[in-house]
This record gives sequence, structure tokens and C-alpha cells, in this order.
Amino acid sequence: MSENADLMPGTLDLLVLQAVSLGELHGYGVLLRIEQISGGALAIQQGTLYPALYRLEHQGLIESRWGTSDNNRRAKFYSITAAGRRRRGEEVAGWNRLVAAMSAALAAQPEEV
Amino acid sequence: MLRVLLDGLVARVRSYGRALRHPSKVESDMAEEFHHHLELRTRDLVEGGLSREEAARRARLDFGHIATHREEALASRGLTFLDQLRFSRLDVKLGLRMLAKYPGLSLVSVIGMTVAIAVAAGAFVVADTMLNSTVPLPEGERLVALQNLDIEEGEDDPHAVHDFVQWREELRSVEDLTAFATESRNLVMPDGGTDLVAVARITASGFRVARVPPLLGRPLVDADDRPGAEPVVVIGYDEWQRRFDGDPGVIGRQLRLGTVAHTIVGVMPEDYRFPVNHAFWIPLELEPTRYERGTGPAISMFGRLASGVTLDQARAELATLGSRASAAWPDTHANLRAEVLPYTQPFSGINTPAARLNFHAIRLAVGLLLVLVAVNVSILVYARTATRLGEIAIRTALGASRRRVVLQLFVEAVMLSGLAAVLGIAITGFALGRLNTLMTGPSEPFWIEYRLTAQVVLYVIGLALLAGVIVGVLPALKVTGRHVQARLQQITARGSEIQLGRTWTAMIVLQVAIAVAVLPYAVYTAAASLQHGTAPEAFPADEIVRAFVSVEGGDAGSEETRLIGATRELLNRLEAETDIAGVTVTRGFPGYERSARLEVEDGTTISIQYNDFGVDLLPLFGVGMLAGRGFEPADAGEGSTAVIIDETLARAMGGSLETVLGRRVRLAAENIDDTQPPWLEVIGVVPNFTTTEGVDPDPDPLMYRPLALEHAMTGSGSVQIIARLHARADAPMAGRFRQIAASIDPTLQVTDTRTAASIRQEARQVHRYLGIGLSAVTLSVLLLSAAGIYAMMSFTVARRRREIGIRAALGAGARQVLTGIFARAAAQLGAGVLAGLAVALLLNQLAGGMLSSRLLVLLPTVAAIIMTVGLLAALGPARKGLAVQPTEALRGD
Repeated sequence: MSENADLMPGTLDLLVLQAVSLGELHGYGVLLRIEQISGGALAIQQGTLYPALYRLEHQGLIESRWGTSDNNRRAKFYSITAAGRRRRGEEVAGWNRLVAAMSAALAAQPEEV
Repeated sequence: MLRVLLDGLVARVRSYGRALRHPSKVESDMAEEFHHHLELRTRDLVEGGLSREEAARRARLDFGHIATHREEALASRGLTFLDQLRFSRLDVKLGLRMLAKYPGLSLVSVIGMTVAIAVAAGAFVVADTMLNSTVPLPEGERLVALQNLDIEEGEDDPHAVHDFVQWREELRSVEDLTAFATESRNLVMPDGGTDLVAVARITASGFRVARVPPLLGRPLVDADDRPGAEPVVVIGYDEWQRRFDGDPGVIGRQLRLGTVAHTIVGVMPEDYRFPVNHAFWIPLELEPTRYERGTGPAISMFGRLASGVTLDQARAELATLGSRASAAWPDTHANLRAEVLPYTQPFSGINTPAARLNFHAIRLAVGLLLVLVAVNVSILVYARTATRLGEIAIRTALGASRRRVVLQLFVEAVMLSGLAAVLGIAITGFALGRLNTLMTGPSEPFWIEYRLTAQVVLYVIGLALLAGVIVGVLPALKVTGRHVQARLQQITARGSEIQLGRTWTAMIVLQVAIAVAVLPYAVYTAAASLQHGTAPEAFPADEIVRAFVSVEGGDAGSEETRLIGATRELLNRLEAETDIAGVTVTRGFPGYERSARLEVEDGTTISIQYNDFGVDLLPLFGVGMLAGRGFEPADAGEGSTAVIIDETLARAMGGSLETVLGRRVRLAAENIDDTQPPWLEVIGVVPNFTTTEGVDPDPDPLMYRPLALEHAMTGSGSVQIIARLHARADAPMAGRFRQIAASIDPTLQVTDTRTAASIRQEARQVHRYLGIGLSAVTLSVLLLSAAGIYAMMSFTVARRRREIGIRAALGAGARQVLTGIFARAAAQLGAGVLAGLAVALLLNQLAGGMLSSRLLVLLPTVAAIIMTVGLLAALGPARKGLAVQPTEALRGD
């Protein structure tokens, strides 16, 4: 059984918001950050990150600026906006509720029903 | 929640804006970002021990399909939609190429749409100017006209001196109420010659309303309006320049108008011609005590809305005054409704809601002409687009969305309509220039000038876009529809083909039906207008001179005796002139008769036109009798019953020209309660001498009654005289007539002195322009119809080329095959012709049988032309089909 978990639909945006909320990053950096904070458990096809980044920027949840990366190349850096922080908070709360509900459901014993 | 929505909206708008402003930058930034990602990934993999090449390969594999991610990234920013709507120079280039590839279609389409756009733009300008013009004075939009509308007659009752005085005193919502009347005066020059000028007799308040200070001196003041005041005059800038050489010392000089010497007290600035188109202003003295209520001189009234008052408030206040008047004086005011209107409205003739509605309706109808033309063109374009299915299929396969394909075709169509719009605007501008030169004269409001404005240009751009949608988008949507796209998958070696089903047949039938139904009317009207406009005169129009004789000032009733006496003397003097062969009087100029219903003694009633003129008129016009005798002096006496009729009326009464002599007729009483007019006896028959033979195929029956000078004065207080010259005059007769009249009585005015040729010229010019315009529209519709039918028929048969080849291969003779093709073509065309005939006959019924006799010729002619065009169109492709080798036909199925 693989130790990597596939992303559930809709969770990539939340992961991106989480990664970016911890500090300004370029696209590749976001990828690495997600790997890091998930302990390497979450597998993301790299190219799919960018549609998510652009979508979140289009919605005003993250913003970008051009800067210089550590390999001295021009790179686009993303940071979270106030609206993004609010959305992240809402999504985390929702996720936690879902996890709690799933945990309770999965822990149910025959004698409890 | 609202804040979240707003934040999101702002971010999206900003994102779209960036993408629209710098579309290529968005893509290049994305490419750079992807490239940066791959570099870093490669670096990490190299650090992990892979070779550079292997690391680069792994990085690309891990990244995934770049093009797909790029498309998804664009889509996630909502840019794919924009991308599909964006068109580039390439689209324009392709569009131009298409125009050049099908020059016939392009030419026909541009001609048709140019004419339609020119007509629509012209109508827009005229309607807009008539409906929305304001007087170019300070706050001109607050000037209002006041009138008493006679509800029964549907006209303004201008004898409103009493009302004017009352309203001037009592109205609060309208300030400086002014009355004026336009009169003709003989301006006596220093050398004794006279010039007839239009003078505004106006109360001094008129200058306060205008708020334009004079250039020199002063305007009229209230003291000038009082009885017994010194006669003064204010003159216009052009008159000051022309007659006084711009002399700055003109103030105080005398100007003789008729018998009265006026002192010049002021000169108005250049371009000032208020209230209508005036250059002389003299005081208007109004004494209501001199007249009974409802009588007195005819005046026009205007004023300025008081500060802060709206038009509706003024209307309400005047309506109240009007109601009180109706109650207090029911004999004169029961049918009158006091109204306040925007100042310019009465001059445009659009002073009732019904008239405004009519105008808007006409504007809409003219706009619909473009829709009709565009639909016609779209049928042509559909035929062409259907042949491009292979190209569309390939583009779709390469990733073009339906939206993209439709946009491309829309751009092509807009190039056609855009070119038509440019040409149409140019034609409209030229035509409006001509219209402005035709409309000069003292009764033409000075503020009316037809010109192209920014609004018209925007309107034309809108029309061009609408035409582009009809011509480009609709056929494109049809051709790229879902059911078609499904069949596009079966591309054969020859390209894919669209199924031509019922829609196609219906379009052919519709195209033919429209042509057959509409063209006869268009042809008839255009031909009639042109004929009227260009036919030679029925009589020697350069040798016939017409003038109106009247006396200055006063009203008709009191001056009739003086006028008749002076006119008699004038006629005698004119007869004595060596170059004048004879003079007479007439009620209406020949060719401009009045309508009536004529009762014949056998009980029949005929619609006729009739006129009254002096006993000498027919010989003066060189008209001989066809039967019976002409008028004699005794026929003009009291109690005379003699009338002369023309041959059209004689035929309408039945029998021959001889048998109508002695028969009795009378004009039908206008109202049931009126007493019956007396019976009249036909004493002679003349040919129709007022219109050239052949110009009017259906002339009105005419009747003439003898007129004595004593009864020749019209309701407007003038007598119309006609003089026949021995030969065409070298110089205009107007000056001579006026000189002779002035020598008889200085207040005797001779106005509007013109040859018959000149009288007709205006009407003929209108007919000519109308005829040219209608001919242009008719020809373009005919052209479009013929092109459309040709294109569709030839395309239909071309589609069956393979079938023809196969049938020939299987042994069918040429005649058999051709018969099959032509039978089908003839059936489609025939269905269209029948439908068109039915509509044409219905239209004729609705128009009261206007074209009945002509339809018998026009309808079959148009139907024959259309059938011929359609069958000829089928011929070429049919013969090509027969020439196809059977093996070629069988291959590739």
C-alpha cells in the first residue's frame, strides 16, 4: 500500500493557501512546501499547481510579484491576501468538521447502531 | 459575505483588465514561470544524482503536458472566453481575402447594404432634426410655443388676439409672452425700385425672449408697440451689409416699407434670424377691442419658461386658463384646447402625439429595410459558407471552438457591412447637402440644417454591426450547428457536405416570393416618379407666368374691393404690354386642382379634380376643344351653369365626347346638412392639358368652371393671375410686374412671380430625387434577389453533380437527367413565384387596387425574369455534371 495519499478533489486550493500563508513563495517553492508540510505524503502532479495558483490569484486570494529567486532568475512570488486568510480559515474549519465527522463515522461499533 | 463578494469582483475585473491590455504578456509570463519551475526541478534532480539530460527529461515528465496546463491555467483565469472573442489582424486579413475571392458576392452585398444604410441614415438625420432640434439661442430649449388647437379641425386656430392679451397678463409659468406675424412688404429702394421682403411684426418682448443684444442701436421696446408710436424697424446683419454697405451710421436712417417710412433703430448680429427666418422686425400693435373674440389677425405666440418651471407645469397652467375660456365663451372656444409646445415643434409639423408616433414608425420602417437587405445578403453568404465546410471542419479539428469560427465569419461580414457603412454615410452626407440647398426660403426655419452628427455615425456603426450579425453570425451558427458537427466527422476525399434540407428549399422559395411580391411596386413607383420628374411639360411652360396679387396689411374682408379694382387695372396694364399675349385669373394653377365628388344626373358619382379660371385661360394655354365650345365672357356671369370637362371625365361619364355635351352634373354637397349645389351643364370637352401624355397612365378626371375677377379673391386675400408671353422672357418678369403694380397702388403687392416651368421644377425635382432613390433601392433589391437565387440554384445543382455523373454512368440519357434537374428547380422556383403572386395580389387589394392594370404586365414580367435567372443558374452546373466521367463519379463514395 502506498504511503503517498492522492489529493482529494478540492483540497489542492487549500494546500496552496496553507503553503503560501506560511511565507512568500514561487511556484516551485509552493510545491516543495506542500511536500514538506505533508511529510511527503501528498502527491501533486507538478503542472496542475499552476492552474490552481492562477485561479486563486484571479479570485484575489493570493497575489503575486516578480522578484529574483535564489538561482538568480526572474521568478514570480506568491503571498496570501487578507481575503485568502479568511478563506483559508473557513476551509480549515470546514475540513476539521469533516475529519471529525468521518472519524466518528469510521469509529462506529456494531453495538452503537 | 458582501465584502468577500466585492473583493472577489475587484480582483477578477483587475485580472481581466490586465489580460485584455497585455494578452501576449500574460502568455509570456506564464511561459517564463513554467521554464523557471523546470529549471529548479532539473537542478534538484541533478543534485540528487541524475545526469543533466536525464534530470531535464524527468523534470518535464513530472511537470506533465505543458500545453494542457497552459490551457487550464488560462481557463482558470477566465481568459479562454476572452481569447475566443479576440480577433486579430489575421482575421481581418482572411476576411479581405474572402472578399476578393468572391468579388461578385462582395459587390452585390456591398451595393445592397450601402443603399439600405444610406436610406436609414438619411431618415435618421431628418427625423432627429425635425423632432429634436432646438433654437440656437441662450437656453433655447426653454423656449415654448403656445397655440389654440382646434380639436375638430386638428389645426392651430391663429386668430387668438384676445387669448394672447389674457395669457400675457395671467400666465406665471411662461415669461415675456410674444406674438408675431410674418407679412410681405414692398421695400422701396432709394432708386424707386421695389423688393418684396418678409417682415416680422412682433411685440417687443420677442427680443427679451431671444436674449441676444443687437450689434448696433437697440431692439424694439414696449413703447414701440403702443398705438401712435413712431414707426421703427430693426434690420438683420445681411440686410445691413447688402443695402447699407455696413454703414455704422445706419441708425436713424429711414427705410420705406410700403407706404410707411420706418426709422432704423437697431441692427441684429450676424446669423440672428429669430423667430423663423426674418431680417426685418417692426412693432406689432395689438388692440383686442378692435376685434370680436375668435377673429382678428392671425398670430403666432411664444415665450420662455419661467425659471424653475417645467414644460408640464406650464401645460397644466395653460390648460386651466383654456378650460375657463371654453366655459366662458363656448361659441368660440368650445373646440379649442390651449397648448404649450417646445418652440420648434409646430414648425416641424410634429405637434401631436400621433404625428410623433408616425415619425418614429417611419424611422423604424426605414431601419427595417436594412434588416431585409441584410437577411437577403445572409442567404447569399450562407450559400457561400456552406461551400467552406471542409475548411471549417479542418479548423475545428485543429482546436478552433465554434465561437472562434463564428467570430471569424462575423469579422468577414463586418468588413462587408463596414465598407457599406462608409459608402452609405458618404452618400447620405451628399444627399443632405442637396436637401439643405433645396430648403432655403423665408418660411424655412433658420435652425433646421440637416447634417451628419456624431449620433448618426454611431447609429450607422450600430447598423453595420447589426448587419454583420445577420450576415455573418446567423449563417455561421447554422453551418456550425451541433447536428452538422456530428456529420463533419464523415469527411470524404471531396470534403464534407452539408445536408440541404427543407430549410434550403424554404429559403429559395422565400427569396423568389419576396422578389415577385415587392418588385412590381418598386418598379412602378420608381418609374412613375422618374417620369414625373423628367417628362417635358404639357404646355409651353416658359411662356406662362403666374403671380399672386394682394394688398399690404389689413385683412382680406375690408380690402376686397380695393384689391379687385387694383387687380383689374393691373390686368389691363399687363395686357397692354407688347410682350404679353394675354392675362387671366385662376383659382388654382393648372395641374394643382382641388378634389371633389361629382354627381351625374344619372345618379353615378365620380371622384374628380376641379378648378375655376378665367374664360381666357384655355386659349392662353393653347388648348383646343375636342367637342362643344369654350368659355365665353357671359359664362362667368352670375347664375351661369356652364362647365367644361376633360376627356377622362367624359369617358368616365360613359358615351362619346359628343354625347356628354348638355349633360348635367353637380359637385356633391360636403355635409349632409348642406344645401345641394346647383346643377351645371357640360358645354365642352378638352384634352387633359396639365400633364404630358403618357406620364400619368391613370389621370384624374377634371372639370373646369368659369371664374370672374370679382370672385377670384382667395381666403388668404390674394388673386392668382396668369400671363401668357409671346415668347420666353429674357429676364425674370417679377420686377416688371411689381413696378407696374406699384405705379397703380403702392400697397399693391405682386408676389411669387414665376414661370410655370419654375413652379413645376420644384415638384419635379422632388419627383426626380425620389425616382432616383427608389430606382437605386429597387435595382439593389433586384440585384440581390437575382444573385441570391442564382447562387442558391447553382449551389443546389452543383451538389448533385456526383449524382448526375452516376446516373449518366448507369445509362440515363442527358435529356432525362436534365429534365429531372430542371423539373426540381422549376418546382422550387414555381412555388416561390406562386407565393409571391399571392402576396402581390394581396398587397394590391390592401392598396385599394392601385396597381391592378399594371400588375397584369409587371407580375408576369418579374416572374419570368426570376424563373429565367433561376433556371439559367441551374444550367451551368447541370452541364458540368453531365461532363463528369462516370468512373470519377463512382469513385470516392
